[in-house]
Amino acid sequence: MRFFSWFVLRRMAQEPLRTASTALGVALGVAVVIAIQLTNASSLAGFTTALNVVSGRAGLEIASPGTGVDETLIPALGWLREFGDISPVIEGQLVLRQPGHPAERLRLLGVDVLRDRAIRDYVLLSPTATGQTPAPREFLSLLLDPSSAVLTARFSAPRGLRVRSTLTVEVGDRRVPLTITALLADEGPARVLDGRLVLMDIAAAQQVLGTFGRVTRVDLRLAADTSVDTAERAIASRLPAGLQVRRPAQRGQQVENMLAAFHLNLTALSYIALIVGLFLVYNTISVSVLSRRAEIGTLRGLGITRAEVRALFLGEAAILAVVGGAVGLLLGRLLAIWTIALTSTTVSTLYIATAAAPPALTWRYVLLACVTSLPLSLLAALVPAQEASGVSPTAATRGIDDVEPRPRFRLRGLWLPAMLLGAGAWLATLGPVGNLPLFGYAAAVAIVLGASFLVPAILVLVTRLLLAPVRRLMRVEDWLAVNNVSASVPRLSISIAALAVSLSMMVAIAVMIGSFRDTVSYWVAQTLQADLFVSPGARQQPGPDETLSPDVVDLITSSPDVAAVDRFRSIDVPYADTRVRVGGSDFDVLLTRGTLLFKAPADARAEMRAAIGQDAVVVSESFSLKQRVSVGSIVSLPTPHGSVEVRVAAVYFDYSNDRGVVMMDRSTFERHYGEIGASGMTVYLAPNVDPDAARERLLASIGDAHNVVINTQAWLRAEVLRIFDSTFAITYALELVAIVVAILGVAGTLLTLILEREAELTVLRLIGTTRAQIRRMVMGEAAVIGAASQAIGLCVGLALSLVLIYVVNVQSFGWTIQFHLPGMFLVQSSALMVLATTMAGLYPARRAARLTLKQDQ
Amino acid sequence: MRQAGIAATMVLAAMLAASAQSPSPGWKAAVVGRTIKLPADHASHPEYKLEWWYYTGNVEAADAHRFGYQLTFFRVGLDPAPANRSAWAVRDLFMTHVALTDVSGRRYHFTDRMNRAGPGWAGATVDRYRVWNDDWEATIDSQGRHRLSASTAEFGIDLSLAEDRPVVLHGERGFSSKGSAAGNASLYYSLTRMPTRGAITIDGRKLAVTGLSWMDHEFGTSFLEAQQVGWDWFSIQLEDGRDLMLFQLRRTDGSIDPHSSGTLVDAGSGLHTLNAGTFHLQPRAGRTWRSPVSGARYPVSWQVSVPSAGLDLIVTAAVDDQELHTEGSTGVTYWEGAIDVTGQSHSRPVQGRGYLEMTGYAGPSMGTVLR
Repeated sequence: MRFFSWFVLRRMAQEPLRTASTALGVALGVAVVIAIQLTNASSLAGFTTALNVVSGRAGLEIASPGTGVDETLIPALGWLREFGDISPVIEGQLVLRQPGHPAERLRLLGVDVLRDRAIRDYVLLSPTATGQTPAPREFLSLLLDPSSAVLTARFSAPRGLRVRSTLTVEVGDRRVPLTITALLADEGPARVLDGRLVLMDIAAAQQVLGTFGRVTRVDLRLAADTSVDTAERAIASRLPAGLQVRRPAQRGQQVENMLAAFHLNLTALSYIALIVGLFLVYNTISVSVLSRRAEIGTLRGLGITRAEVRALFLGEAAILAVVGGAVGLLLGRLLAIWTIALTSTTVSTLYIATAAAPPALTWRYVLLACVTSLPLSLLAALVPAQEASGVSPTAATRGIDDVEPRPRFRLRGLWLPAMLLGAGAWLATLGPVGNLPLFGYAAAVAIVLGASFLVPAILVLVTRLLLAPVRRLMRVEDWLAVNNVSASVPRLSISIAALAVSLSMMVAIAVMIGSFRDTVSYWVAQTLQADLFVSPGARQQPGPDETLSPDVVDLITSSPDVAAVDRFRSIDVPYADTRVRVGGSDFDVLLTRGTLLFKAPADARAEMRAAIGQDAVVVSESFSLKQRVSVGSIVSLPTPHGSVEVRVAAVYFDYSNDRGVVMMDRSTFERHYGEIGASGMTVYLAPNVDPDAARERLLASIGDAHNVVINTQAWLRAEVLRIFDSTFAITYALELVAIVVAILGVAGTLLTLILEREAELTVLRLIGTTRAQIRRMVMGEAAVIGAASQAIGLCVGLALSLVLIYVVNVQSFGWTIQFHLPGMFLVQSSALMVLATTMAGLYPARRAARLTLKQDQ
Repeated sequence: MRQAGIAATMVLAAMLAASAQSPSPGWKAAVVGRTIKLPADHASHPEYKLEWWYYTGNVEAADAHRFGYQLTFFRVGLDPAPANRSAWAVRDLFMTHVALTDVSGRRYHFTDRMNRAGPGWAGATVDRYRVWNDDWEATIDSQGRHRLSASTAEFGIDLSLAEDRPVVLHGERGFSSKGSAAGNASLYYSLTRMPTRGAITIDGRKLAVTGLSWMDHEFGTSFLEAQQVGWDWFSIQLEDGRDLMLFQLRRTDGSIDPHSSGTLVDAGSGLHTLNAGTFHLQPRAGRTWRSPVSGARYPVSWQVSVPSAGLDLIVTAAVDDQELHTEGSTGVTYWEGAIDVTGQSHSRPVQGRGYLEMTGYAGPSMGTVLR
């Protein structure tokens, strides 16, 4: 132990900067991984904890695809009592706008309290005559008035709401006044969603949501001795067509599947930062081994075994990993607050309404930090440690054990990178694994690894090619810089590879996002043709019951400014193991006024026209790719009256959601899903009507009675791109962390090189080199490193972008992206990168200059 | 009159009305002169605020295994015309109590239920007689027989009752005045002797049974004055063919309310109204039962005398513990159970069976709750 502390710890303490930067690199890598895991967990946690607690003791639930269960079917479900107690439930979303508070979404739970106590416990803050858990009839009296609502104490207290307070909530385009009749104590259902729960009577909930005739589902609490499996099978066989029995957790599973691709992409990105951090460990241990060969030789001569030498260096890596992992865990928790903020908009815009709050750091995450940092760090250190154990005692001490005096370009060293790159190309051709592009990611990893192993060869070539022109055209210190880099290829190539890998990822993602943005912006320009877009004020993407009131629809339709409207309705239905969107739209208006971009068939417009009134649909590209259907396929869609077979008439491009959309003519939609309110309207104005003026007139005629949002075409097009950019903000953010880690690595390596070259630098000073020249030389080295990394990064990045665009995106989201090179961005970022790496040389350069001065004295 | 029903529903209605902050006008008041016609009036009268159908009976299996049963459907109007057009909007609440006394096994079972009509899982129809609460139901079949069915996890009844004897209309041809205040009245009739057959399910066994049942049907809007502590109500079917209904209201000061009354039906179906003072109901000393659940002490044996009819009877609970706890519905705790009747009629021995209801022995007095 004393020996370890002398050999390893003292050495680490002597070079605090390198030690700290390596540990920080590992820490950042671990932090990003932890942060993304927390982020992914949070977007689901908001949903699943809500699901679990709101489901109460319900072991099974009866649901119907689309808009909910037709309540007239419920009395005929009396036989369910053989299995346990049933309670119909209505769930919905309300929006509360209060002065001084941002708009907040509340979950509405409408139950028949006379039945629901079998499923859920409600504990009131202020006890009634019969205590905190009121008798059913007493509870009913609190809810009987249609405007009565019970809120949670957790939500009400900070907002100054109390019993008898009144508030106005928004549902769709309607404003509904409510009176608080009781507060729920902070337990049971009240605890979920940060207390954002409104409990109402089932009748009041129907009125507030305007969902007369339907309930969301019927919860079933199984009798004590009933097995869930048996009951599920028995019930499924007896339910009428259109009703389905499922476990509450299945809803969570569907949402999880829906988010799987999004989460996997974030996870993959997060591991890049970790891999770069591990490169740093490899680098640090390598440099440590290289610079101490003589010492190792002496130790070996003194009788230290090979295994002990190996253990010494692995020990160093372990210390770095443990320190880095611990710091990373805490840093990850902090980072999560920020990454969750970045992703929650995306998740709730595109997938599910979620209350994003970072979950607690449980042992699971501590374990994850240990598993990611320690074994991987040891693995990264294994190669240099192995090399150290191979040092011959005599050769090293005599100084004839030169590592590689001058790097040689060896052809036979190229078989490994060549094989890896070939494997990458082959993996890119393989299909997805369960809608997840696992082989695509493997291809990316193979390409990155292959390119990394090529780095030494490339460096040797580039520096040799550079030497002559630099000598002719530039100053002598620049020539020295190139020469130094060329001489230190074995030591530098790891740092450069690490930097190049992160840069290549940055480039790949920039190209992918640039291409994607270009594609989306073209798609938006082509397809968003309507003049005005009308939606309910309290509507966000996933709200199924948030609709426009019929009088608003009539008012807009009959306005003299309006030439044509398309009322559309979309609902989520379970399909395969996920949820897809089924939409009803006026095909005639869409065909004559709007412009869908079709992928297939060639005469898609005629096919779509022929689909009107038929059981034929047009599906989005993502639906077609993920569910493997094409034009002519028969798709079986769940409806409230059982499955319906529809034919795919055409496939169109859609980038608005990656879950897949099945669109049918409104008449077909209403035939299968009933006549339900419009989720929104697209409005085509009469000729020569100014959209802004028309918007003002329509809003004025609707007045304050309804909260309707009308957007112009220009605004919506900008909004789509804004959402697009916010979706990818997290991607850039993660990449930035990886690059910071890589630059830390470059700085650390340069510093080591400077320290090792003390003698050489002294000689340079003695022969008259000025401090400025020394500085310039070191900065020059940094610049060469930066430029080489960026150049390699650009090439590898372009290759990776092809994998991302044509493999990963297609397989995980089902989107066709047109390749588009964001040239200006790449030029700018390249310049910035070289500058940043050069700046990273600043500190080592100053150290070098100061060091020389000390030698003078 | 089945006062437990009144008490429970009045308490509930008062509470719900207070919370809904509307005095609920729009309900019809019972008036003199409305004739009662059967079977049409078996059906529901939703224009009145309160209504109940009350069946009790004593039945026996072939092996002389004896049971008493009670099946009561209450309808309590909360809002005659809800503004909310949702099918779940609460116009009425339907509460049901079902109890089975296994007299031979000396056990007592009961269950209660409360539902809104909703999309149809409870209700009472107006065009023909059918009242139900989930799968518990009372209805009249094509032969004019009352069909009762209710099963719980522990027991079940499935009975068919005949309307053997003509209907007994209480008060003025069914108009039953309940207090000195005007308008406190109900429409009230009884079928006092209904030959009964059917099946009782208990302990997983289904037993064919026969016996006699008693049905009360009462509806109105406002019944009660609020000074009663409780009441004792007797329905007795004597073997000599006479049926006797008696009740006394106990006031807060310990006296007997002058509105206590009764009806004697003779073997030829002739009616004799019995006013307060013409009959005596006296608990027998030393024969009380203390409920381990509510702590209430009930007199489970009574001395009953109707001098004008020459009746001097001793009424004894068939089983001491026949107390109902109805937290899941009306919220009232009361004793309702099968009784044995022995004694003398004009000095000749007479026997009978019946049902006894005792309220106001557990919890706060009804008057306090109502005030």
